[in-house]
Amino acid sequence: MSETVTRLGGYAEEVGTKLTTLRKNESIVEVGQDNLKTFVSHLVNDLHVHHLMTITGLDLGQNLGITYHFSMERDTIHVRTLVPKTKPVAVSIVDIVPGSILYEMELHDMFGIEFVGNPWKDQKLLLPDDWPNDLPPPLLKSSKADQIRKRLGLEVAKQ
Amino acid sequence: MPRRTAGAAVPEMFRFMLEKPTTEAYPFKPIQVPERFRGKLDIDPAKCTGCQVCSLVCPASVITMVDLGTRKVGDRELKVRRPLFDLSSCIYCGECVDNCAFNALELTKQFEVATPNKADLMMRKAIAK
Amino acid sequence: MSATPDQQRREESAGLMEYSAESLVPFGPIHPALKEPEYFKLVLEGERIIDVIPRIGYVHRGLEKAAESRPWVQNMYMFERTCGICSFVHSLCYGQAVEELTMFQVPRRAKFIRTIIAEMERIHSHLLWVGLMGHWAGFDTLFMWVWNDREVVLDLVEAIAGNRVHKSMNAFCGVRRDMPENMEERIVERMKFLTDRARYYREIIDTEETMLKRTENIGRVSAETAEKLCAVGPMARYVGLRRDVRLNDPYAAYDEVPLDVVTTTDGDVHALLRLRLDELVASANMVTYAVQNLPDGPIRVKVPPIIPAGEHSSHCEAPRGEIFYYVKSSGGRTPERVKSRQPTMANLPTALEMLKGQTLADIPVVLTAIDPCFGCMDRMSFYDTETNRKWTWSGEELRQFGINYYFPERAKRKPALADLVGRSASVEQCSREEF
Repeated sequence: MSETVTRLGGYAEEVGTKLTTLRKNESIVEVGQDNLKTFVSHLVNDLHVHHLMTITGLDLGQNLGITYHFSMERDTIHVRTLVPKTKPVAVSIVDIVPGSILYEMELHDMFGIEFVGNPWKDQKLLLPDDWPNDLPPPLLKSSKADQIRKRLGLEVAKQ
Repeated sequence: MPRRTAGAAVPEMFRFMLEKPTTEAYPFKPIQVPERFRGKLDIDPAKCTGCQVCSLVCPASVITMVDLGTRKVGDRELKVRRPLFDLSSCIYCGECVDNCAFNALELTKQFEVATPNKADLMMRKAIAK
Repeated sequence: MSATPDQQRREESAGLMEYSAESLVPFGPIHPALKEPEYFKLVLEGERIIDVIPRIGYVHRGLEKAAESRPWVQNMYMFERTCGICSFVHSLCYGQAVEELTMFQVPRRAKFIRTIIAEMERIHSHLLWVGLMGHWAGFDTLFMWVWNDREVVLDLVEAIAGNRVHKSMNAFCGVRRDMPENMEERIVERMKFLTDRARYYREIIDTEETMLKRTENIGRVSAETAEKLCAVGPMARYVGLRRDVRLNDPYAAYDEVPLDVVTTTDGDVHALLRLRLDELVASANMVTYAVQNLPDGPIRVKVPPIIPAGEHSSHCEAPRGEIFYYVKSSGGRTPERVKSRQPTMANLPTALEMLKGQTLADIPVVLTAIDPCFGCMDRMSFYDTETNRKWTWSGEELRQFGINYYFPERAKRKPALADLVGRSASVEQCSREEF
């Protein structure tokens, strides 16, 4: 385990959470929405882990998981935070990591999560302009491909 | 290096004018494909036992198993199934070839499979009586 | 029913086709699965770009959703078809993410074969890109010559894998085919040929007035901006950041094969040309080394169809940058979640920054310089703040404008921007907010 990850583990304990090692240089830490920004700011500015690879959304039943994947030399650090499905509003880290702007837009389209603080948060990135508002966001488990096809009037070539 | 308008490229231009063209004369002349080329799928019906592994591993849903009746083995009636191939969806990956335990399948070197009639691409060799 | 914005765009393009049919033969990717169109809205002040608004997703195929209902091995073939030029690296990255969940080890010979094919793919991609730069800059001869040499590497790949583009060589914990017998000499000789050709093209781009005029001193972005916007691949390396997954986090056989990471500090499009040609030479050297030092042993370990529960990620260096895959398994035959992030998405914010401040004539060259994986600008919308007009151009019209702007001796008369816009069938008045 590299020095950066050890220091991050120490910082995680200070703020009341724990850094777990998955396997082979990958670690994951779960933080709450309220201390996400301070945690990411410590990671980026104090520990100099600059490169955010992407942000992944997960459908975890009751909650939606937002995982930030950071990379530094041989280490991959996943930072996960949860938002409830009933109120999918999350805090944006665009002011700390400007490169996250398009990833947050993608999560908004695919999972319906609203990122407060993202300047382009209401614009669609991937979905068409005429996406019906009553269809659930595509990557939720409750959203089925047949349902989307029928609603958008698309045909399937072969079944 | 000095900047020129047409310097380094000129000798190359002459070389191309004197050499024979790179374009292959296909389809007026036949074209050779390498040994390992993955072309149209072919089955040897004599070797197929209907185990349906090929149908389960195909990523493109090309293979459907067709019921061809039953046969008696001892005092049991066993179903006889054989594969039907819709080669219009085939992606030439070779998963079926790799997984067939009886070596009944092969990716040939045939690549001229374009046809205006989709029914031409249904391979019924294994289900023909 | 009233026309949706997408339908309106299609109608606009239909009008353009009648207007100038001969210039709408799209310069197309030969591989249909290759690229996706992007749609840029550009706000201009006279001839300078002041703002760019991207809209992507025109060929969004829903692969991540589709992956959740397909078995693990079938997903490998599906993700291979994400892109035509980086197809092998996609299946490699997905394979690596899943392999770690299985706890099986990849044999050493398989790692070397993976490295050889991945580097050949990089050579192919860079040759393709240099040709494209020639085409968009107006130097079609270079395009033809480079794509001729590209056939050399495609023939090698076909001899090893059976197909020029979708190699289908990867499997979990191994490769599906071994290297053919007696290929070593042929590969080494062809790599030497490609190295000589790359050096020749270096000479052309360093001295030919056509390329220098079109590519010097444009497309600059600062190193701090590139780092903050998380640029990857050659877009990070051309401003001096030593960011390369093969160096920072070696995978496959990159810890054994000597690696040359190329960076420049000049930071303009000409530097990108030099960088990619030097990378081509470095890749050819790596292929030669790997082929001559190929270890013996098995090429594959059979993996059961059920992958244990857990989550894992992996990243690889594709020709365009870093590819990232995240995989989550709940112990079944199909994945629970697969996330794939392509390098062009990561480079898009940096590309938008590069575009600001450029002139209209430089857009084709700058956009091609980021080596995008999209259908070369099939449609772009422009809005001029000085005259409050908006219009749409196809990629070919934009390319012709750029060539006539820089080489007016080729045009019958020097075109003024206002003239060309006036002739475009789609010009109309509108306000900035409507745009």
